[in-house]
Amino acid sequence: MADYERRHNGARGGRKRRYREDDDYDRRQRRRYEEPLVAKVRRQLLTIAESAARRADDDAVTIARSVTENFENEELRNTFIDIVLDLTLEQPLKIPFLATTVLVVNNLKSEVCSEVLQKAVNLLGEYLDAGAWREVKLLLRLLGCLQCIFEGDGIFPILDELFSRAVDLQTASSDDVLGLELVKIILFTIPYIMASPATGFEQQASALLEKTDVITSTPHALVDMVNPFAIGDGRTNAVQSVISLLQSQLQGESNRGWELACLPRPWKGVRINEEDEQPPAEFGPKCPLPEISIPNPVRAGKRAIYPEVHLSVYADQDIETVPPTSDIASSLLRDALVDTINILDFNRIATAKYLIDVDCYFTPHTFVKRATPFDRLRDIPGDRPTWKPEDVAVDAVFSQLFQLPSPEHKLVYYHSVLTECCKIAPAAIAPSLGRAIRFLYRSLDTIDLDLSHRFLDWFAHHLSNFGFTWKWSEWVDDLDLPLNHPRMAFITGALDKEIRLSFAQRIRGTLLDSYQSLITEGKEKDTPDFKYLEDTTPYANEGKELMQLIRKKATDEEIQPVIASIEEQAKGLGVEDPMLPSTDAFVTAICFVGSKSLSHVLSCIERNKERLLAIGPKSPAARRQIITSVMEYWADQPGIGINIIDKLLNYTILTPLSVVEWALVDKLDAGAILAKTHVFEMVSATVGKVTNRLRQIVAARTQPGLYEPQLSLLDETLKRENSDMQSLFNVIEDRVVSIASGSNDELMERGDGSGNLPEDEIIRQWGQRWLRAFRRMAGVEQAFIAEAMANATPVGTTAPPPENNTSAGDGDMDVADADASAQAAS
Amino acid sequence: MAILTRNTVDRLDRPSAYYISKNKRRKYSQDEEPPKEEAPDPLSNATTLYVGNLSFYTTEEQIHELFSKCGEIKRLVMGLDRFNKTPCGFCFVEYYTHQDALDCLKYIGGTKLDERIIRTDLDPGFEEGRQYGRGKSGGQVRDEYREEYDPGRGGYGRAYDAQREREEEEYGAGK
Repeated sequence: MADYERRHNGARGGRKRRYREDDDYDRRQRRRYEEPLVAKVRRQLLTIAESAARRADDDAVTIARSVTENFENEELRNTFIDIVLDLTLEQPLKIPFLATTVLVVNNLKSEVCSEVLQKAVNLLGEYLDAGAWREVKLLLRLLGCLQCIFEGDGIFPILDELFSRAVDLQTASSDDVLGLELVKIILFTIPYIMASPATGFEQQASALLEKTDVITSTPHALVDMVNPFAIGDGRTNAVQSVISLLQSQLQGESNRGWELACLPRPWKGVRINEEDEQPPAEFGPKCPLPEISIPNPVRAGKRAIYPEVHLSVYADQDIETVPPTSDIASSLLRDALVDTINILDFNRIATAKYLIDVDCYFTPHTFVKRATPFDRLRDIPGDRPTWKPEDVAVDAVFSQLFQLPSPEHKLVYYHSVLTECCKIAPAAIAPSLGRAIRFLYRSLDTIDLDLSHRFLDWFAHHLSNFGFTWKWSEWVDDLDLPLNHPRMAFITGALDKEIRLSFAQRIRGTLLDSYQSLITEGKEKDTPDFKYLEDTTPYANEGKELMQLIRKKATDEEIQPVIASIEEQAKGLGVEDPMLPSTDAFVTAICFVGSKSLSHVLSCIERNKERLLAIGPKSPAARRQIITSVMEYWADQPGIGINIIDKLLNYTILTPLSVVEWALVDKLDAGAILAKTHVFEMVSATVGKVTNRLRQIVAARTQPGLYEPQLSLLDETLKRENSDMQSLFNVIEDRVVSIASGSNDELMERGDGSGNLPEDEIIRQWGQRWLRAFRRMAGVEQAFIAEAMANATPVGTTAPPPENNTSAGDGDMDVADADASAQAAS
Repeated sequence: MAILTRNTVDRLDRPSAYYISKNKRRKYSQDEEPPKEEAPDPLSNATTLYVGNLSFYTTEEQIHELFSKCGEIKRLVMGLDRFNKTPCGFCFVEYYTHQDALDCLKYIGGTKLDERIIRTDLDPGFEEGRQYGRGKSGGQVRDEYREEYDPGRGGYGRAYDAQREREEEEYGAGK
C-alpha cells in the first residue's frame, strides 16, 4: 500500500490529498478489475482453438474446471451449455474442441454434462422436425464426438434410423434428393465418431457403410445438371457426387484402420490433473443417450436440395496444394469450411478470419506454414503434405461461388469473403487467387455458361476492390483469338464490367498497350453521339425535332405530328412497318436526352410512358425496335443499355418475350450473339424477372389459410403465368438448339458452307452452353413449383365455419403482399 | 436456419452507432417519465440505405452496378449540394425488400466503390429534402472541417478553404 501511495502522490510532485482520507476509499480505487466468471468462461469458450499460441486442450480443462467447480452457479452453467450449442451450430470448425470440453466436464461432474446432452438432443429434435438438415448434421457431429460417454451403441442407432428414412425416400422415388441428403449426414458423422475417444465401433461403422453403398453408388439424374463443366473434354466427363466420393473415401479409411489424419484429437492432450501423463482412460461415467424421435416421413427443409459435386480450382497443378479427392481430407475440410462460410454470412470479416485460421482447427502439420510460396513447395520432402491452408480456404469459397444451380447466399457474399481474406492476409491470399483465376481462365471453353459469368462478375468486382491491378501480360497472346472465342469474350466482358464499376479512362490506365484498342473511343464518351445530328441519317430533321421536344418536356400532342411525319415518309419509301423508324427516332431521342444519368432517362421515360406503352400492342416488331434503339445508342456501354431495358420491362413497355426474341431471333446473327457476355446477362436477367414473379405467385397460392374463391383465382394466375414462362423457355430452346446442333440455316450458309470452320465449332459450343444453362433454369423452376404445390391447399377448399377460423389468414392477400410475407419469412 | 438468441460473432446487419446515438432519448433526465411502450422500430422493415463516403465523381450508374448485386433497386437518390445541385458524396439506395437491404449492409458496406471504402447504414426511408447536404456551404457537414486533403471530395474542408482564402487575401497569395 505504501508503494502505491508513493507512486500516486509522490512521483507527480505531491498531488494534493483528497478530501477523504480513509483507506477504504483508496482500496476500492486500487482493486484490479476482475472479469466476472461468467464473462470469462464465455470469452474462453467463444475463442477456443482460435489461437495457435494456446493449447486448446488446456483451455478445455480450464473451462470445464470453472464450470464444474461452480456448478451451483446456474447462470454460468446455462451460459456454458448455450455457448457450446451455439458454437456447434455457428462455428462447426470448433466442434471437436467443444466436445473435448464437454468430455472433461463429464469427467469432473457428469450432472452438468447430462444437462448439455439433454439440451442438445432437444435442439436436435426441433431441427429434425423442421427439416433443418445442416443443423441436424452439426448436432450429430457434436454427439458423435461424445460417443465414448454413451451406453451401448451411442448414436449409431440414430444413424441407422436416418438411413431407413433415406431408403424409404429412395424407394418411393428415383428422383429423391432428400434421402441423399440424409445419407450425406450419416457419412459426415461417421469420421467424427471414429476420430473420437470411443473405441470398438469399427464394426458398426463398416456395417453402416455397406448399407449406404447401395444409395451412393447409384448415379443420380441431377448430378449432371450441377456439373460445373458443360462441355466434356475427357478429363471432366464423369463427375462423382459428393456422397459417392465420400463413400469411397470412408471405405478406404475403414481399410486403413480409420486413420482420419486431418481430424484433430484435442482429447488426447487432456490432462485432468497437472501431474497426469495420459488423458483419462474414461471420460467420466457413461449415460444413455436421451431419446430422439425422427419424424416419419422426414420433412424437406426450406432450401431446395440438389446433389453436390466436388469442385477444386487447384485440381490440375503439378504440386498438390489442396487434398486430392482420393484423400478423405478433401471432403472433411471442405464440408467444415463450407458450413462455416454459409452460416456466418452475417459477418464476412469473421468468416474470412476463420478461413485464414483453418490450420488451427485440424491436426497440426496437416498444412504447410501459412503463406508458404507455391514455388517453395517443391523443396518440401516427399513424405510431408504440401497443402496450403490459403488454397484450401479459397477453394471452399470458390466451391460456393460456383455452386449449381445456385449457392445458399447471394453471389456478392462470396465476393466479399474473398475480398476480406485478401485484406486480412494479402501476401498469403493474393497468389492463391491468382492461381485460381488462371485455372478458371483456362477452363473458360468448357465451364458452364452461368459459371463463366459468375467468374467474370467476381473477377471485375474483386479487381475494383484492389486498384484494378491484374497481370494482363499473361493473356496477351490470347488477344489474337477470334472475338467470339470464350477467352476473348471473357477479356472484353471483364473490361466492360470494370468500366461499369469505374470509368473507361481509369481502366485504360491499368492496361498494357496491346489491350488499349479494346477500350474504344466511344467508351470514354459520357454522352454518345445522337445519330440524327448527322444530316445523312434518314429522318434527321424529325429526329432532331423530337429530341428538342423531349428535352423541353413537350406534351404528347406536340410529339405526335413529328412521329406521324416520319411514318408518312417511311410509307412513301415503301418501309413495311413505318412504326420502326418512328420508334427508333423517338427512343433514340429519349436515350440522348436522358444520357446524363439513369434518373434522367427514367424521368424521360416516365413523361413519355403512355406513348411507349402504346407501341408494343400496335406492333411487336416496333416493341423490339425499342430494344434495338436503346442498345445501339449505348453500343459502347452496353451495361447502361441493359439497365434501361430492365427498367422498360418494369414499366411493361417491353415484355420478357420481346427481349428474348430480340436477342435470339432478330439479332441472333447465326449464333454470333451468343458469345456476347452482356446479351447473356440481359436474357438471364429477363428470365430471372419472370421466374421471380412466378415464385411470388406460388408463395401467394401456397400460403396457409387460403380459401375459395381466392384459391381458384390465384390458381388460374399461376397456371397462366407458368405457361407463359414455359413458352419463354421454349423460344430460347428452339432458337438455341439449332445453333448447338449446327443445323441453323444461316450458320450453315456462312463461310464455305461446310459448317466446319473453326469459328463454327466455337459457336456450336456457345449454343450448347446456352442450352444447358437455360434448360437448367427451366428445370429448377418446374421442380420448385412441383415441390411447393405438393403441399398446397387444393382448389375448392372452402373456409371452415367461422368459430374455428381464428388465426388463419384472411385469404385476400394479393401477390404483392405475398411477396412481402415471403420475404419476411425467409 | 439456426435462429440463435445471441450470435457467437457480431452481426454486420445492425444499424450503426451513429443511427442509434442520433435517436437515443435522453435517458439520464430524472424528471421525465420513461415512455410506457417501446415505440415500433422504424428500421424493422426498412428497405432504404444511406450510403456515405462516396466520391463526388461517382455516378448513379456505378452505384447501380454495385448495389444491384444485392437485389433489384427500386429507387436511387443522389445526395446533392444544397446550392450547386451537384453530387456531394452520399446517396440513398432503396430496395424492394428488407432482406436485400440487410444483405447490402452485410456484403457491400465497408467494401470499395470507385476505389473508396463506402459506408452503408439502414435508414427509415427517404424523405424529400434529405437529398441535400446539411453543411454550411451546401455539402455534407463532414466536408466542412476536414483537415486532410481528399481529392474525391473537393480537397480540404470547405470551412478551411474559406479561411485559407481570407488569409490569402489579407497576406497575399503564395505565402
